Amino acid sequence: MNIQFVIMQLFNGLIMGSIYVLLSLGLTIIFGMLGIINFAHGAFYMFGAFVAYTIMAYLIPNFWVALIVGPIVMAIFGAACEAFILRRLYNLPPLYVMLFTFGLMLVLQDFIRMIYGAAGVPFRTPSSLDGSINLGFMFYPKYRIFLIIITSMCSLGVWLFLSKTKLGAIIRAGTDNSIMVDALGINISKIFTLVFGMGIGLAGLAGVLAAPLQNVSHLMGVDFLVDCFVVVVVGGMGSISGSIVGGLIVGEIIAFGVMVWPPMAHTLIYIFMAAFLLIRPRGLFGREAFHE
Amino acid sequence: MNKGVWSKQKVIVVSAALLLAIIFPHIAPYIALASEILIFALFAMAFDLMLGYAGMLSFGHAAFFGLGAYTAGVILKDLYPSVPLALLGGVIVSSLAGFIIGFLSIRRRGIYFTMVTLAFAQMFYFIAFKWTGLTGGDDGLQRVPRPSLGPLDLKSQIVFYYFLLFSVIICAIILLRIVNSPFGKTLQAQRENRNRAMSIGYDVDKFKLRAFIISAFFSGLAGGFYALLLNFVPLNSLHWTNSGEVVVMTITGGMGTLFGPVLGAVCIILLRDIISNYTESWTFIMGMLFMAAVLGFRGGIIGILRNKLRLTI
Repeated sequence: MNIQFVIMQLFNGLIMGSIYVLLSLGLTIIFGMLGIINFAHGAFYMFGAFVAYTIMAYLIPNFWVALIVGPIVMAIFGAACEAFILRRLYNLPPLYVMLFTFGLMLVLQDFIRMIYGAAGVPFRTPSSLDGSINLGFMFYPKYRIFLIIITSMCSLGVWLFLSKTKLGAIIRAGTDNSIMVDALGINISKIFTLVFGMGIGLAGLAGVLAAPLQNVSHLMGVDFLVDCFVVVVVGGMGSISGSIVGGLIVGEIIAFGVMVWPPMAHTLIYIFMAAFLLIRPRGLFGREAFHE
Repeated sequence: MNKGVWSKQKVIVVSAALLLAIIFPHIAPYIALASEILIFALFAMAFDLMLGYAGMLSFGHAAFFGLGAYTAGVILKDLYPSVPLALLGGVIVSSLAGFIIGFLSIRRRGIYFTMVTLAFAQMFYFIAFKWTGLTGGDDGLQRVPRPSLGPLDLKSQIVFYYFLLFSVIICAIILLRIVNSPFGKTLQAQRENRNRAMSIGYDVDKFKLRAFIISAFFSGLAGGFYALLLNFVPLNSLHWTNSGEVVVMTITGGMGTLFGPVLGAVCIILLRDIISNYTESWTFIMGMLFMAAVLGFRGGIIGILRNKLRLTI
């Protein structure tokens, strides 16, 4: 095994990890605020990729437009879902809300299959990011370098937004205790809509960014979502930094698993999660008895 | 409630259900569908022990169902074609998996528990997906034989149906005994108030783990039957959407009743079969129905029966 291959895998793990981070961030803030798992999160991720595909194939054949418009469309879509439907379910046990998102997942997936077929669609790397860059010690695809930069910027942006702005402080407070925030005279239901929209927007962004790297089909989000569950369990539910660190760890584990024994690469993260549960059940940055 | 003596209504309902189950293969669209309904009824009952009685929402029960199916399938195909041996192997493996997954996941409660069980189940999915030599990978485990059981020629669909019906009824009786036993009452007690159950002196986690293993046992049995029914084990039997379906069956039927999940399994599998005759996009319609069910009737089918017909089942 040469050192170049190891560094290459390190980078690949970083890329996979950063896609996990974008998805898990949404998952974890929605969880923290609303106390539910959004089973449709993977479907929204997939939907984001298809929105971008549709924009590029039928409206404006430009990746950059799709990259900006796609996530915005998804954010509006997510906010609308929250404002018109999910809101009615908050006084029910979380079980029902999760069941609802499960149904929503099936509907979104089958909707895409009905329109685009089961085989999926081609999604090319934008031409300006074709080819590789010579990093001195190895050649690495330009698009992947771009991915590392943009996802780290986004994660940093979300982190700054949540930890340094007033709105972010309200969201963090709402994650801790939404009833108390409401009692302090802040319109918490608007915040819920915002958070849900933001989470879905991030999922959509992850979908667009991951689209050139994988087979864009109606099922691309189903199994990816479960990996994100591992991320939030390892990182600690409701924790922003937990999602970021957890996402990168899971991405790297898969990448290194591919080096050691490719068929078991994916199984490794579940074994890791099992070990982690034994040592530290609440996750890296999770709090004891949060939403239990 | 007076123990031992069944109300007249209950006797009528139970005998009507039995009668219906006996003539069901003759009125169902085809016999294999009736058998599939029985299998998922058993799976949903096993799941209800977890969700309805112990109050644990597992999203990983496909693991036990799928492990039961794969183990039974592999035994029948590669080791020795014997139905009891295959089913026994299936339940042993799935109960063992239930012990391990249960032991790890009951360390977390609520939503964490759900996610952890889901993730572990996905691990088995990936193993089955990659271990193509044993499981056939993406194509599933093909050509699983269905040998005779003594004088019973299980190759005949109708004989197989009645064999299933007999087995499922026995399992239902056992499960009913379990939920009404002191053990079952303790499970319900810790579901209602964990701290109080602990302060009385119950080792709550031990009870939860036992419930988990029992549930895995019956799920694995249902899986073993499934392998026999299809002569094939689809990879999807291990996928987490299969876990989702059993959750939906249990809840649309009415959780915490054992009867309800059976009704849920009947309705959902029948509906799916009927819809899929008309359109390829039955998943879309099923998803819509799940969402409508959450918005509309949350007591489940059994809740409707209780309210509208004043049944006390």
